[in-house]
Amino acid sequence: MKKVSEWKIHGLVLVLVIVSELIGAKSFQVGPGKAVLLPMLYALVIGLSLGPKGFKIVNLDEMKIASPLIGVSVLLLIAKYGTTIGPSIPLLIKAGPALLAQEIGNFGTILFAFPIAMLLGFGREAIGAVHSIAREGNIAIISDMYGLDTPEGRGVMGVYICGTLFGAIFFGLMAGFFASLNIFHPYALAMACGVGSASMMAASSGALTAALPHMAQEIQAFASASNLLTAADGVYASVFVAIPFTEWLYRKFHKQEPTPTLPAAPKEEE
Amino acid sequence: MSIREHLRILIIVAAITLVGNLVGFKINPIEALPGMLVLLGIVTIGLLLAKIIPVKLPSIVYISLIGIILTIPGFPGSAWFTEQAGKVEFLALCTPILAYAGIASGKDLDDFKKLGWRIVVVSLFTFFGTFIGSAAIAQFMLKLTGQI
Repeated sequence: MKKVSEWKIHGLVLVLVIVSELIGAKSFQVGPGKAVLLPMLYALVIGLSLGPKGFKIVNLDEMKIASPLIGVSVLLLIAKYGTTIGPSIPLLIKAGPALLAQEIGNFGTILFAFPIAMLLGFGREAIGAVHSIAREGNIAIISDMYGLDTPEGRGVMGVYICGTLFGAIFFGLMAGFFASLNIFHPYALAMACGVGSASMMAASSGALTAALPHMAQEIQAFASASNLLTAADGVYASVFVAIPFTEWLYRKFHKQEPTPTLPAAPKEEE
Repeated sequence: MSIREHLRILIIVAAITLVGNLVGFKINPIEALPGMLVLLGIVTIGLLLAKIIPVKLPSIVYISLIGIILTIPGFPGSAWFTEQAGKVEFLALCTPILAYAGIASGKDLDDFKKLGWRIVVVSLFTFFGTFIGSAAIAQFMLKLTGQI
């Protein structure tokens, strides 16, 4: 039975791939810039619509079979990325300082999302939600530090779910848009694509590649090198910097008001 | 999941990718086959290393490293490896991944409905923040070091 339904998933993926590639990449004008829609995004959206709530082509059990297949299929892409980094090693070394420094930019999640979370009246959910882009590793950390059945846990799960559903689409559109604006150099944008999620990086660096095909090799090399760095440093950055910093910000913000959800008394000594 | 099981699925995904590579990029599967076998070989060795080497590192680290080493200028045959891998389009590799992700994530739609709009807004700012943060610092440092 299991075998039968796994083949059904592969069959559906084959159909999605053919249909999506036949439609091909489309770009359109949005305000001052351009947005690029890539076949991979069609495949994602159509795939999402196949469930019980949509076209009822796959059931819950089959969706569960599809989950581990994502992780396996990513491996081929990772290998491909390795082969784009190799030839560009001299270029990457020259850009080394920028490549390392831009890892700090991943804390931009806090800079931009924390004020918004406070504005929208978030409690300690904000700590889970804004400390990172909430991928699997971050869920593990939050689960370990707070538990998932806490405000922090709900925060990280919320962003995780949004990221799973819309992360690739959002990053793809955003990267393509910035590529057309000419504010940042394509190399800088390529490094920014390495956010620590294979599908988000694929969508964003894919959009960059589509917008700037003559730089495809360099874009992929920078994006995958940056993604590799984020994969390596992400956990430490969250545990030692991002979460303590967000906690600190949260305490600053709630100095006068009593915290609504959790009596997190700031410890003076440890 | 065993390596054998991994390989079985990888071969299926590789076949689907070659179809997408043909439909989307007009690259004949026979022409792209050596490149795909190179990628499959890299993944297999990476998985084996992750299993054998006692230091606990995720297999993607080994897979990346082998891919890098094979194609680094100066490594024997690096030009060949690079050329062959180049015939498997990177975008063609992405489409099946997101197709699997789409099918699997359909189950998250229910959870999503319970979330409310505020977390969606915060999520988008989170994604925006990491991208802009990295792009700005990268831009500054590339300028500073005279790379752009």
